[in-house]
Amino acid sequence: MQSKASRRTVRIAVDIGGTFTDIEILDEATGQTFAAKTPTTPDDPSEGLITGLRLAGEQVGFEFGDISALMHGTTIATNAVLQRRLPKGALITTAGFEDVLEIGRHFRKQVYASKAEPRVVLIPRAWRLGVKERTLATGAIETPLQENEIRQLAEKLKAGGIQCVAVCLLHAYANAAHEQRLAELLAKYAPELDVSLSHEVSPEIREFERSSTTVLNALLMPVVRRYLERLRARLKDAGFEAPVYLVQSNGGVMSPETAALLPARLLLSGPSGGALAAETIAERLSIPDVVAVDMGGTSYDVSIVSGGHTRLVTEGNVDGLPVRLPMIEIRTIGSGGGSIASVEESGRLRVGPESAGAKPGPACYSRGGTEPTVTDANVVLGRIDPQFFLGGAMRLDAAAARTAIATRVAERLSLTPEAAAEGILQVAVSHMAGAIRLSLFEKGLDPEDFTLLSFGGASGLHACDTADEIGIGRVVFPRDPGTLSAWGMLYSDVVHALARARLMRADAAAIPVLQEIGAELRRTGGERLEADGIAPPDQLLPLALDMRYPGQAYEIQVPFDWSPGSFEASLAAAISHFHDVHEAQYAHAERHVTPDIVAIRIAATGKLRKPIEHVFAFEKSTGAKGRRAVFAAGNWHEAAIHERSKLAADMKIAGPAIIEEAHATHFIPPGWQLVATPSGDLIATKRAGGAA
Amino acid sequence: MTMKPLDVVQLEVIRNALVAAAEEMGVTIWRTSRSSVVRDLLDYSTCVFDVDGKSVAQATCIPVHLNSMSSCLDDILRDHIPLSEWREGDLIITNDPYSGGQHLNDILTFKPAFVDGRLVGIAGVLVHHLDVGGGAPGSYYAGATEIYQEGFRIPPMRLDDAGRRNKEVIQLLLRNTREPANVGGDFASQLAALDIGVKGLHRIARRYGPDRLTEACRGIRHQSEMAMRAMIRDIPDGTYSFEDFVDDDGIDRETQLTIAVKLTVRGDIVEVDLSGSSPQAQGPVNCTRNMSGSGVFCGILMSIGSEIPANAGCYEPVRIVAPDGLCVTARSPAPVANRMAIGHRVVNAVMGAFAKAIPGRVPAAYYGVSYAYATNLFHADGRRQVYFDLTCGGWGGHPEADGANGFSCGLHNIANAPVEMLESTYPVTFEAYTLVPDSGGAGEQRGGCGLIRAFRIDAPGGTLACNFDRFKTRPYGLAGGAPGSAGFAELQRADGTVERLPSKVAAKSIAKGDVFRLITAGGGGYGDPAKRTRAAIEADITDGYVSREAATAAYGSKAR
Repeated sequence: MQSKASRRTVRIAVDIGGTFTDIEILDEATGQTFAAKTPTTPDDPSEGLITGLRLAGEQVGFEFGDISALMHGTTIATNAVLQRRLPKGALITTAGFEDVLEIGRHFRKQVYASKAEPRVVLIPRAWRLGVKERTLATGAIETPLQENEIRQLAEKLKAGGIQCVAVCLLHAYANAAHEQRLAELLAKYAPELDVSLSHEVSPEIREFERSSTTVLNALLMPVVRRYLERLRARLKDAGFEAPVYLVQSNGGVMSPETAALLPARLLLSGPSGGALAAETIAERLSIPDVVAVDMGGTSYDVSIVSGGHTRLVTEGNVDGLPVRLPMIEIRTIGSGGGSIASVEESGRLRVGPESAGAKPGPACYSRGGTEPTVTDANVVLGRIDPQFFLGGAMRLDAAAARTAIATRVAERLSLTPEAAAEGILQVAVSHMAGAIRLSLFEKGLDPEDFTLLSFGGASGLHACDTADEIGIGRVVFPRDPGTLSAWGMLYSDVVHALARARLMRADAAAIPVLQEIGAELRRTGGERLEADGIAPPDQLLPLALDMRYPGQAYEIQVPFDWSPGSFEASLAAAISHFHDVHEAQYAHAERHVTPDIVAIRIAATGKLRKPIEHVFAFEKSTGAKGRRAVFAAGNWHEAAIHERSKLAADMKIAGPAIIEEAHATHFIPPGWQLVATPSGDLIATKRAGGAA
Repeated sequence: MTMKPLDVVQLEVIRNALVAAAEEMGVTIWRTSRSSVVRDLLDYSTCVFDVDGKSVAQATCIPVHLNSMSSCLDDILRDHIPLSEWREGDLIITNDPYSGGQHLNDILTFKPAFVDGRLVGIAGVLVHHLDVGGGAPGSYYAGATEIYQEGFRIPPMRLDDAGRRNKEVIQLLLRNTREPANVGGDFASQLAALDIGVKGLHRIARRYGPDRLTEACRGIRHQSEMAMRAMIRDIPDGTYSFEDFVDDDGIDRETQLTIAVKLTVRGDIVEVDLSGSSPQAQGPVNCTRNMSGSGVFCGILMSIGSEIPANAGCYEPVRIVAPDGLCVTARSPAPVANRMAIGHRVVNAVMGAFAKAIPGRVPAAYYGVSYAYATNLFHADGRRQVYFDLTCGGWGGHPEADGANGFSCGLHNIANAPVEMLESTYPVTFEAYTLVPDSGGAGEQRGGCGLIRAFRIDAPGGTLACNFDRFKTRPYGLAGGAPGSAGFAELQRADGTVERLPSKVAAKSIAKGDVFRLITAGGGGYGDPAKRTRAAIEADITDGYVSREAATAAYGSKAR
């Protein structure tokens, strides 16, 4: 045991991905951060987490007792759904509506397919059980719950080996009495069941989306609880006593107790660390409008920071199943290093969305892949050094990449392999650019006002070209792009997102309802934060309204000022804000129309102490590591190759150039210039009229 | 002619940009429209056309719109406003089925994009509007015998003339709908989307240059045409005939209508001859030639080419033959509001013919009509509210899989309106929204189950209009599979009496406490039921898609 004086206090963020567990360690006294990577242990990810923490502790110099908090990002919930590693569950719903979960919105994506696209239904029809009861849209009860039915129902569930139950009754968002009573009766007759109630998980109007979210939550309860129990035991054995927080899809963190009850909030939380990082970097660099892109092997995630903040949407989906919960808005398309290029019979060159993934992987991986991919194209063009992939950890077969592109693309289009490879990248870039444009467009934002933030292993190879395609002139390459998601988690706060659905006109009659619900949400939010050990001075309790014009299908969220005494003014301000946002996003507003309020929300936030910013120190520059031939804009160029860790603060690098680091490679095309900032980030700008 | 090699890359890049422009228009409508038809049913399409007025990129989810905008624009350019007369700032509008439209609810708008005074492309938006007047709410008047009873009719004309909007025209139209607030809101979304499309075309034309853009558009069409021809070449040459039927036209309830398809494949060309179909009907089930064309193309793509990017090039190797005056080629002023029954039957019949040409690749018949109903609900204070809805049924069994249960198919691809949303908006209370056991046809691959949608009227009074089909005829099975079940509809009066409804209902009085129930058709089965596996039969029984009695009847001892 070290003496108290020599102890340092560290905050840790751990992001467990499919292949690697990324760890970021923050020294709370100096603000210095350290990164580490360790292999993920898929059978029990907590094992790899502990191993990684121990190794990091030895390298950086801390003990488990020095840890002040552990921020934990996990894909365990998402993966359990994708791999169908879920327990046997049942859905209890209003009789006559048992098939809502299967029918869904009955809208297909593959419009001309003669075989219907598979619909994922996680609870088979035999276990979708109707109970006689009915609550109306007003919340009035038309048919009371038949309590004597429930005992038999509980017996049936037990006899069937059911472990968890989702309860989703019609209009439970308006009156939860029946769901609550059902839960009491189930607790009495079948106390061993995990029960999720729709009005607690996702208290929102639209029965299919609410059912889907509640079912996911119910099925994940046993999975996540078991994981958290193992994690707690391992941490305890290791002498770890600090609080653990789990990262949610809304970018906030929650306690393990909350996560065990509301595990659906872990779904799709994977990219939220990256989005948080984007917010933090935007602030660090004083660039309020940023498009953050994360390109990996199979997918490309786009998130927007506008005016310094990411945006939340009210719904996402996992494997086609809606998850009706607030989450950071991220657009994902199937463009990655593994995206496959092919030439169709008609002569059309296609890139993706089919992906070679990690297995068999690109042709150059020598794992049996023969189809040319985006990564192969980068190898052929000299942009990836086959000897220095993953910092040299993996050797690539450049000849295999060239053969794949030559035979499968170049010959069929009568192109040289280089021209074909560059064509593949141009098509991939046009997909990425389209995704970014649509993300900005939906909000009425102009790409020219934005800076591109590139992270993830493969983004840096295409970031400048993508920026060019959409009219963005500046690209930021933050430091530690390979562990950026974990780094972003260091900055998150505790968030309890609560909502109450109430469809009503935003007029004077709404004010007493807003007062009542607002007070209730603020009270509940405050209590939950207290339970997490967060005292009122560190609590933020901002309310928001989901509003729309009568009849619209989708809502816009606007803040609602909690100012007792002038609720009229607060509502008027919210309405005016709604019209403004509608006009900005959709080019028209109907100011004479009184909008509807659909839901009242709170993001009860417990501020966690923010680390001080450490002044980044550059190592001594040693100049370019070397030069090699790189193909761009139809020609071979001699490009300087730099090691990122050897860049000096005042260095200016003109494209074409390659910047290499352990987990990423960046390509600076001709016409672009790169500078390093004092914060350790690299910024590329397009020289005026500087296209090659 | 093959393209210069380097253009293949740029062509693909420009294609992605054009698709993005069409999607941006679609997003604008999706997020801002007002009525339930548009907001939850997604009944709209957006399209980008090249300088020749040919479609090159479309963001549609709804196959019935597939060639709708294309052929409408063709008709406008040929018969009404030639391209040489389109000026910057013009906005062309029509909803006339006899000038290239399909039915009056679909208002089509087109706006040209000019760069430096030169036409670079045209943005197009089609929106199904909730009500355009006529004899019944929702403008689905099953009693119509002339188009004049179906609503207002807009000939192809300029709503904007060189940038000046004729706002009085909008006032005139809105005065003639039962739902001016919703239709006005949807129309504003439609026009906003058009501007977004024009902006997109400006951006693309400036970035790549008008010449490159034009060349790329031709290349995009050419690729789809080549892909289509390649698919057709794989089909054995020959003539394949198939007939399917529509219950009746709603006026003459005794006479069944025939849709006859004679499919001739010769090399890389397909001819679809509909000449053997019934004459045009008295009631509003008729299709215009463009509407039948949508059915033909949908049937072809679903049979052979689901992956081909749909644009004007797809239409090149296909010839549709039929004289005017049939129910598939109606002449003005025949009524057309309930065109979907015949349109869907064209798809069924085209796919049936392909099943003969390429057996083992085409599924059995799907439910075969967009079940459309509209209630005009009268509130005590005299207000009226139109609740319009569309629903679907089961898919036909596919050679490799069971048919999907309760899922949009064929010409139809709409999202349902959530029950909770409907009950919060209209004075109705749902009794059931669920699948119907035993409705899918038996087969090695079972047909999908149909649906029941049933609700009670809570308003003091109102009227009901229905445009259904497949109450008398059933979705066919293939390769030994049994047909799917027929559907039916009934009205249970507040006093408990139950009345069976015909498939087409003009304007039936309804009152508080009445319960309306619609049961939709299941899909046909594929393959000999004797070949269905014991495990699949057992699973069907456990999950209740098939009752034990029905399974025993269809599959014999395996079901025990």
